[in-house]
Amino acid sequence: MPSEAAVVIDQVTKRFNAHVAVDNLSLTVPTGSIYGFIGPNGSGKTTTMRMIMRIIAPDSGHLKVLGVESFEAANDRVSYLPEERGLYRQMKVRDQLRFFAEMKSKKVTADEINTWLERMGLAEWGGKKVQTLSKGMAQKVQFIGTVINKPDLVLLDEPFSGLDPVNAVVLRDAVLDLKKNGSTVIFSTHDMSVAEKMCDAIFMIYQGKKVLDGTLESIQNEYGSDTIRVKGLHLNTTGVPGVSHVDDFGKYQELRLLAGADVKRILHHVSNTGTLSHFEIAKPSLQDIFMRIVGKDVLETEQVGA
Amino acid sequence: MNKVFTIAKREFKAAVMTKAFLVSIIVMPLMMGGSLLIQYVFRDSKSLEKKTFVVIDRTPGSVIFPKLKKAVEERNKKDITNSKTGKQIDPEFELKNLVPSENTPEAILKQRYELAEQVRERKIYGYIDIGSKILEVSASELQKSAPKDIMSIGSPTQEKHKAEAAKAPDELLIRYYSNSPTYQDFFVWVWQAATKAVQQYRAGKVQLTETSLEHLLLPTFVANKNLPKINKLTGEIEDGKDVNFLISFIVPFGIVIIMFMVIMVGATPLMQGVVEEKMQRISEVLLASAQPFQLMLGKLLGGVAVSLLLGSVYVIGALYAAWQYGFSEYFTPMVVFWFLLYLALAVLMFGSLFIAVGAACTDIKETQSLLMPVMLLATFPMFFLTKVIQEPDGAIARGLSFFPFATPSIMVARLAIPPGASVWDPIIGVIIVLVTTLFCVWVASRIFRVGLLMQGKGASFAEIVKWVWKG
Repeated sequence: MPSEAAVVIDQVTKRFNAHVAVDNLSLTVPTGSIYGFIGPNGSGKTTTMRMIMRIIAPDSGHLKVLGVESFEAANDRVSYLPEERGLYRQMKVRDQLRFFAEMKSKKVTADEINTWLERMGLAEWGGKKVQTLSKGMAQKVQFIGTVINKPDLVLLDEPFSGLDPVNAVVLRDAVLDLKKNGSTVIFSTHDMSVAEKMCDAIFMIYQGKKVLDGTLESIQNEYGSDTIRVKGLHLNTTGVPGVSHVDDFGKYQELRLLAGADVKRILHHVSNTGTLSHFEIAKPSLQDIFMRIVGKDVLETEQVGA
Repeated sequence: MNKVFTIAKREFKAAVMTKAFLVSIIVMPLMMGGSLLIQYVFRDSKSLEKKTFVVIDRTPGSVIFPKLKKAVEERNKKDITNSKTGKQIDPEFELKNLVPSENTPEAILKQRYELAEQVRERKIYGYIDIGSKILEVSASELQKSAPKDIMSIGSPTQEKHKAEAAKAPDELLIRYYSNSPTYQDFFVWVWQAATKAVQQYRAGKVQLTETSLEHLLLPTFVANKNLPKINKLTGEIEDGKDVNFLISFIVPFGIVIIMFMVIMVGATPLMQGVVEEKMQRISEVLLASAQPFQLMLGKLLGGVAVSLLLGSVYVIGALYAAWQYGFSEYFTPMVVFWFLLYLALAVLMFGSLFIAVGAACTDIKETQSLLMPVMLLATFPMFFLTKVIQEPDGAIARGLSFFPFATPSIMVARLAIPPGASVWDPIIGVIIVLVTTLFCVWVASRIFRVGLLMQGKGASFAEIVKWVWKG
């Protein structure tokens, strides 16, 4: 059913001994969307993904994947790409891909495999063992292995980490193609700009709890236009009245405003310290929001953002 | 079920399509037969350097030395060449007489020491000191109490003989001194020659000629035979063939060793595979495609296939050898059937334990300590092997063949020794092994399920027990 959501998580909790890995989580991933999972290491991303894949069962709550609620059988329509590794090093690329497809109950032809290898620029590597491949090539082989059975739902754990820009583009296009062909894609990433650019919606989990969920726009709206981006020569942005926090990126600086700050006064103050070439009132970047939630100024952010 | 076969196929290929597997096919029998082969090839390659021994003959009139001298000359003429090839295979002995010292303990000891120095300087190989009263009959209480029957005492290399010698006083002994305790040829020869010399001397005392003494001492012979049977081609009764002791020992011995090695070749890659899957995060991909039990079953079937392939290679080789060298009585189709059946079960049983070990560890190094108890279970039947072969229907052999981890090898070994275990024994054995295998697979699957997703550090024994208990 295209109208039905691909994944519905309803008040799911998962504990490992005393540690609560996922705490009363509810989340809906619409069919055909690209959903980004973000969150610091150990916050519950992998546990959530493993529950969606039915590798582990939740302790409580309901979890529907592609319309079916079951914690028993592995699902041939769901595929998973683990972070970095996930291949038999002694196996040849082609054998490996055939094996992964068969594990999803799908017979693939040599043509199908070749088409994929060519598309990923791996045409000459089909007969080679995985251990002879570079990290980027292995990552692409892994990706083919994940999608070769044309799954309805694809979970990718850090698919772009460790790739050079050329390969990152190849893989990005392949992910976007999945969406075009009607698959639902969930991927986790630490790269906020990738999440901003590619995802229809973003979900952030922190200490087992959902802290963000929605489109980039809706998330940014929640935080309001509380950021000023400035560029220029010899600017001094310390001690500006109405500014709670400054991020210096080198080429430009971001000032976070306190509630009710006077923008004109800030403009005046900053332009007096040097030559101002750019002054922009902006919404906070995903990176900034992430840092506000996770960083040490978490309390202050709550006061300002609310 | 298709997924199970997909996994089995992969495990099979991963184990078989390697150089290590090809090498192991050739190396395993070499390792096993190697020492036997070397001993066989070099059985005639002794040092042929002449060995010189000094004889101190303390008997009154030194009557033993001339007889020994005569015996050694005969030996050097007749007994040191291979009768077929005419090639010399044993060294010549040379005997030198030395006048005995004064009959005081100090003088005797001094003389022995001087000779010892000559041995150390390699001037002579060794020396014997013949006690003064060895010619006498009933010279002491000891000689009266000692067994009269030479057969029951055995040669000087045997324990009973050594025990009697230890009790005897100096003058009733022939003492052999050398710096080569493992070289036994000479003192065994001396024992035979001296015994004969003493017997001849005593015979002379009762007016018996040497010839009539030889007639008196003429031994009888016993041949060890297999049971007669009916030749199926001609329908006639055939007398049993001579028992080939070497073959009747080697066949069951070989079966047990081969079974152990084939189990290891089948089971070890399973453990390594699981560790690799954990290290390379493949297990997550697999678990997203199949249930843990399917995964494990696939792996086990793959391992069984590997073992059966290797086992069949050896069975075919053994059948050929049995046909070629005529020991097919020890290697009947029945033995082959039970061998392969028990092999398959043993791989399931040990394979599941190996998989559990792999699942509980995060790298190969960690597996070593956990593997120890499993290996002990697999190897301990071999400690009893000689006993089992000597008494295949004895209490130890029977008992051991019903202990599940020993059943596969010990039961087949018992079956390979004619007349073989009773019909019911292997069937009961299969049931016992089957039940144990199911239990092992169950335990392993519980460890496997939890262990597969565990990263970072290996599980302690207590944790593993908890996984099994709580799942």
